[in-house]
Amino acid sequence: MIITRTWLENFLDISEVSDETLFKTLNAIGLEVDNIKTYTIPQKIVVGKILSCEKHPDADKLNVCQIEVGAGMQRQIVCGAANVVDAEYVAVACIGAKLGEDFEIKHAKLRGVESEGMVCSASELGLPNLGDGIMVLDETIGELVVGKELNEYKKIADTVIEIELTANRGDCLSVHGVARDLSAALNIPMKSFEYESQNQEKIGLARVAKLTSKGEINASLEFAMANVNNLDTSLLFLLRLGFIDKLSTTPIDNFLQYIIHTTGVILRAYDVSHLDFENDEKLIITAQNVNDVIHISLNDKKAAYLGIHQEEASKTTGKSTQVLFQASYVNPKHIVDVVSEQKIQTDELYYNTSRGSEPNLSFGITYLTYLFETYYNSKLFEGTLSVKEELEPTITTVSAEEICEIIGNKIPKMEIINILKALNFGVQTSIEDSFGITIPPYRHDIENIQDITEEIVRIIGIDNIEAKALKFVEKNRINKSMQKYHAKKALRSRAVSAGFDESISFAFADKKLLKAYDFSIINEKLDIINPITTDLNTLRTTTLINLLQAAKRNVSYSKKSTALFEIGTIFNEYREEKEVLSLIYAGQSESENVSNAGKPSSINFELFLKKISSIVGNFELKKSNETNGLIHPYQSADIIIDNKICGYLTKVHPSVCDDFDLKETFVAEIDFNALVPKHINAHAISKFQGVYKDLSFVINKDIHYTQVALSIKTLNLPLLKKYYPVDVYQDEALGEEKSLSLRFFIQSEEETLSDEAIEETIKRIISKIESDHGAALR
Amino acid sequence: METLKQQINDANSLTELEKVRIDLFGKKGTLSKEFAKLKDVPGPEKKAFAEGLNTKKASLQTAFDERYEMLKKEEIEKLLKAEAIDVSLYGNLDEKGAYHPVMSTMEKIIDYFVALNFAIEDGPKVEDDFHNFEALNLPKNHPARDMQDTFFFKDGAVLRTHTSPVQIRTMLSQKPPIRMIAPGAVFRKDYDITHTPMFHQVEGLVVDAKGEISFANLKAIMSDFLHYMFGDVEVRFRPSFFPFTEPSSEVDISCIFCEGKGCRVCSHTGWLEVLGCGIVDSNVFDAVEYKDVSGYAFGLGVERFAMLLHKVPDLRMLFEGDTRLLEQFR
Repeated sequence: MIITRTWLENFLDISEVSDETLFKTLNAIGLEVDNIKTYTIPQKIVVGKILSCEKHPDADKLNVCQIEVGAGMQRQIVCGAANVVDAEYVAVACIGAKLGEDFEIKHAKLRGVESEGMVCSASELGLPNLGDGIMVLDETIGELVVGKELNEYKKIADTVIEIELTANRGDCLSVHGVARDLSAALNIPMKSFEYESQNQEKIGLARVAKLTSKGEINASLEFAMANVNNLDTSLLFLLRLGFIDKLSTTPIDNFLQYIIHTTGVILRAYDVSHLDFENDEKLIITAQNVNDVIHISLNDKKAAYLGIHQEEASKTTGKSTQVLFQASYVNPKHIVDVVSEQKIQTDELYYNTSRGSEPNLSFGITYLTYLFETYYNSKLFEGTLSVKEELEPTITTVSAEEICEIIGNKIPKMEIINILKALNFGVQTSIEDSFGITIPPYRHDIENIQDITEEIVRIIGIDNIEAKALKFVEKNRINKSMQKYHAKKALRSRAVSAGFDESISFAFADKKLLKAYDFSIINEKLDIINPITTDLNTLRTTTLINLLQAAKRNVSYSKKSTALFEIGTIFNEYREEKEVLSLIYAGQSESENVSNAGKPSSINFELFLKKISSIVGNFELKKSNETNGLIHPYQSADIIIDNKICGYLTKVHPSVCDDFDLKETFVAEIDFNALVPKHINAHAISKFQGVYKDLSFVINKDIHYTQVALSIKTLNLPLLKKYYPVDVYQDEALGEEKSLSLRFFIQSEEETLSDEAIEETIKRIISKIESDHGAALR
Repeated sequence: METLKQQINDANSLTELEKVRIDLFGKKGTLSKEFAKLKDVPGPEKKAFAEGLNTKKASLQTAFDERYEMLKKEEIEKLLKAEAIDVSLYGNLDEKGAYHPVMSTMEKIIDYFVALNFAIEDGPKVEDDFHNFEALNLPKNHPARDMQDTFFFKDGAVLRTHTSPVQIRTMLSQKPPIRMIAPGAVFRKDYDITHTPMFHQVEGLVVDAKGEISFANLKAIMSDFLHYMFGDVEVRFRPSFFPFTEPSSEVDISCIFCEGKGCRVCSHTGWLEVLGCGIVDSNVFDAVEYKDVSGYAFGLGVERFAMLLHKVPDLRMLFEGDTRLLEQFR
């Protein structure tokens, strides 16, 4: 919503209010000032009166004008604009005027003719573009005094204020509405606007037109008609429509837009030029309720859905000579659901209707009459036709005490009442704490005591409310989410220590990419209807693609190493959410430095594992069952914590690395919930010394350590405390076999171990591995 | 005697000195041989001869010890020198990663409210219409729904457009008094210099018996919080509109870039809008069937805070894993 200072002056005398106070007040009452622009016309730009205008002897498109620019001061100025010919008063930039940093008006000779200044267009003066040609001045901006500096015309050098209107304040979608709200806040009474039509057509509207209604019409309508000839928009209206960026090419549209923006009343114009009223043709206007939408027809031809949109054929054009004007009001409550459910096409004005337009239709029609007769020299038919919905005033009871309770400060009841009165609420005062109020019909947003409280808060100003700390009862508020928060914090801290940068990426993905790399995708029936772009057209089922894309981006910035982690949400095909920790390590394993002679090795399986282990703690690995396209068939593993698979890591498949312009790259994705620290109980520590024993087996080279470990585990040997692989060796001599060395730690809780006991344990291990895997002790 | 001393002093390394020691003090060394002569010395001269030998031995021992100390010192010195490195070559390893500025800002925010005894609550990202809109006084076709460009799913679910549905979930699963924050990712269909389709919010809600919680309380905590976050700034409250609160307010801080003088960042207004808050609308309490309660709620965008706090120039950069940006926070 855009207003200007002088436009507000139509309804409110703010001559004593500084700009600063004005902006502050608007902000304070909830009409947030988004942008302020004060137009200043440079000096030496004055009102000039064209005395004569002749064709340039040597140039078809130039005119040589004699222009009076002050008392007894006449200048010859050459002008190229076509519309200068019919102009009388224009804006003249005299010699010395600066129209820009590098643009000073100087004495000039144009095709041999002297020129002492320039006739200006609006855009040349820094004003909005008002169309082709020079700006023709008229009295709508004030009395035209030849030689007067243009900057003194406040309606031109105006202050334009853009307000960011909240969705509830449809009543402020007009200059009048904003003035009304300001009036209460600034304590300045509104100027009354009254106008009696003085110059009507002889024909009464009722004689040529008839308004009928069918069905329940829960809306108000008022029609007026006019003959329009040579409707030419005056400068002030052009300028203001330019300021609010709603300038149209047809004068009738401009005229209506100006009134709508001024009064807030919704107005439409229908072309009825084809009807010959002189020869007794009649206009039948029908308002009919069809499925809760009011259809307007003119002589049985559909013209509009009331408050929603107008049929193209019924609209006026530049050639229209007879126009039917319609002011209307529909309560937004009656209309928004209907429009949405019936999927009715809406036009620009529907926005105003849906937010709540001005219900005082006479105000709109009177304003229209006033402008028509004052500025356009056109005539309206006598009288109007109308259907009026009886609007029951909304009355509610509020308690002053409750208002104070919500605000938290003591505010005298009298002050509350005065504020409400200033905002045009009807107040039935009583000696009781509670009192009845009538809500003004244009305040669609006010329903209950909290709404009323907001009005009080707005006008008092939140700055004037004393802040008070809340007293509350102590309570333990540590819960699951808080524990998860702390776990996440610790995990992030370890990832950062391990050299990973934290990354955040959108929870969206490109379905094509997910498919290309064989990741699962969200079930078609559960997918997003309205994705923002095609490369973010579904929910992600992995964060790894996002991380690969980030790594690729970093490579393009000449990064030789990228280590990123992300803790984020992914979804499965049933759209169930899961949080995962994902990591990527691409390129060099460390920075280039003296120690590695500037040639650091690439990241490898072992280094990547060490980093992950320093972040998530201990885990086991097993050949991965994952089948997505990132998986390297020989360097990928499922991560096992507490005997459960909770994620996987893999060297990224070389062809995928190619797709993302990456060198050696490793990724991992681990279920966050598996990483939340668990409760640990300490167990007894043996006082007796243990022994380490190494055994080497010759075993088929395709047998994984996991299988060997499983065999040992099933033995459930009480003395075997720990075992792990320490060496694996393969050469040609071994053929299809390999040598696998394991280290065993044997210890008893009860006694010093005897050689026999150790021997027994070792023997059982050997025989188990031999029988399970056809291995032989080396 | 002097030649023996000379032998000690001529030794140039501990190894050489060790040889000299064996030559002089060893079982078959010079001194042993001298002492062996003692048995041939006639009785009366024996004592003087022995004394002479002992003095000689002691003097040689002193010379040896001194030489040993010196050579030992030299040896260590040599060893140390051999290990000399230019330490300045080895700095700047840059082994630590970086926290994401949005996450660390979120932490800073959470820490404040946790210190004030707020609980942390969580909720799903895929929400239903009831929790995301209906219960928050955003009925279907309400114009305020336009404020939030929503991602819809084919089955009618939505991606949550704010963290406010967590308010509803918490109120439905607990009883007042409630004192909670809900941090997390939210989604809106908007993508330009100042908007991303995913961003983070922290939502707050306090509910207690009717009459207990007022707008004045909200004003107190919001002012204090913003001073904690931004230091010595001015805080301004403007009435505003949110469907789920009434009265509602937007809160601004004086521009931290120009100190309120007006600049590009604050659109020359001198103020930066940082959060929204208000008294919980009675329609919201009705939706969760709470009776005779009062409460306030607030919500803020974490990215905006992070950008202001850390002067991050471009919002989109925050979601690209761009290490040129992230490295700066190591």
